[in-house]
Amino acid sequence: MLFAIKKLTKVYGNRTVLNLPDLVFEKEIIYALQGPNGSGKTTLLEIMSLLLPPSTGTILYNNKKIDFGNTDLTPLRREIVMVQQNPVLFTTTVYKNLEFGLKIRGIPRMERQKIVQESLDLVGMREFSNAQAHRLSGGETQRVAIARALACSPRVMFFDEPTSNVDVENQIVIERIIQDINVQKKISVIFTTHNLTQASRLSHDVISLFDGRQVHSTYENIFAGRIVEDQAGRRLCLIRDEIGLSLDTEKAGPVRLTIDPLKVTLLRPQEAEGKENIFDGRLTQLSEEQGLVRAVVNIGIPLYVLLPKQSLKERGLTVGDPVKVLCPPEAIHVF
Amino acid sequence: MSFLVDSFLSALLLLWSFDPELYFVIYVSLKVSFSSTLIASLLGVPAGFLIAFKEFRAKRFLITVLNTFLALPTVVVGLVVYAFISRRGILGILDLLYTQTAMVIGQVILIFPVVACLTIAAISRIDDRYRRTAMTLGATPFQTALVVFREARFAVIAAVIAAFGRVIAEVGISMMLGGNAKGYTRTMTTAMALEYDKGEFVLGVALGMVLLLISFTMNIFFNTVQGKTGA
Repeated sequence: MLFAIKKLTKVYGNRTVLNLPDLVFEKEIIYALQGPNGSGKTTLLEIMSLLLPPSTGTILYNNKKIDFGNTDLTPLRREIVMVQQNPVLFTTTVYKNLEFGLKIRGIPRMERQKIVQESLDLVGMREFSNAQAHRLSGGETQRVAIARALACSPRVMFFDEPTSNVDVENQIVIERIIQDINVQKKISVIFTTHNLTQASRLSHDVISLFDGRQVHSTYENIFAGRIVEDQAGRRLCLIRDEIGLSLDTEKAGPVRLTIDPLKVTLLRPQEAEGKENIFDGRLTQLSEEQGLVRAVVNIGIPLYVLLPKQSLKERGLTVGDPVKVLCPPEAIHVF
Repeated sequence: MSFLVDSFLSALLLLWSFDPELYFVIYVSLKVSFSSTLIASLLGVPAGFLIAFKEFRAKRFLITVLNTFLALPTVVVGLVVYAFISRRGILGILDLLYTQTAMVIGQVILIFPVVACLTIAAISRIDDRYRRTAMTLGATPFQTALVVFREARFAVIAAVIAAFGRVIAEVGISMMLGGNAKGYTRTMTTAMALEYDKGEFVLGVALGMVLLLISFTMNIFFNTVQGKTGA
């Protein structure tokens, strides 16, 4: 176990920006922290990289509790490096930027040279070694920042939105680097993204955050709703007062709910007879994602569905077709 | 107009003739100004850095006080220091009045707030990501502070140059605490004031030209250093 988070909160004034009762990260795995802006991804990353103390709760790193009250967390920080969303490079050469982490660790000059060159090779930036760092482009800066972090030989690397400010070419390079350092150097990687496709493509496990809390679904299918009882005494969750989802819950009044896109099914109209939580919709978008098909269905609200290619092929569904959407109770999570 | 041109030409001749009196005045000016700038920088830069870098209760109040002292008139500093070091003052026993040391003390008091305030401004402008980057790369708190300082280095050097410009051009402290004694505490500015009183402008214009030349040289030096590092 790499990190274990227990009852962690981060509060600014009266606002709780992070509230995580229990979360575990295993070693040598790539995790994606995914969620919309303001979901608490960066705050969690900064706490785990020991740059920000939590308001309450504990974090275990390699089964040892991190003491945020201790003023000098430097020895621990030397195992964990974070690459920020918009990284800054020190106002000097690329070489000296990479050398910084090694110098403060007391690594001899010859060894430093070797490590710097190796790290620059890994990100394809060797020819920039003597360039002034602040004159590089956004993508080059990001790659040098990754090389600078790598040069420190960390056990864990955090990336905050690693590709949000770079062009497609650099995006591909950076994603390849993240996978390489995990496979070749056995470095555990945790990165944030608001791009679900990237999260699924790059990571072994996706952790979704919304409003500072972990949600057991992707944030794409998160809705605000209201729990009501119908005339037959069934409990329904009304979304926008139009769509009523039948579900089993003790909660009442306004709620938020997620619908797991992997548990939603698309059916032909004739297949849907006699089933609960069936909605009429129209297929508006289809794309491929890691062997699955991501479909967007308009049922009055846009609903994201992930389904096997075979399922789509069998039903012969294409964009524009009318469909029935089945949301079984186990796909719905109210919080 | 011709009077000014004549004075200018005579001043050039005076400088060219290596007049010992003129060059001694320049020497005293530079010696006193460099000494006071060095001491004020050794005190003001770390103080400004700590005030900007650390969070503490009276931080804003302290910055307001320092900002207020930026407007300190030289004669007020001269008067206060005089009260302490004159024969009747509590430091009168040290016999500092009308010495170069007294001038340095007064000038340090004058420019300490300049160095400290401009250092605070320089450090405060540094993006917090530099601090966090240094920390995440494994820097100790002291090494992190050095990184932030390094990023602010040019603005800090500019603060020191501004402070030097303030002391080399001031006249009140030098006159009140130095006494404008020929061959001992006479500086460029006090000499210029004296020449003006006498109605003699040649030496005054020559010293004015030297003052501008010093300022020009300092700025060329600063720009060269900045340009070489590509900042």
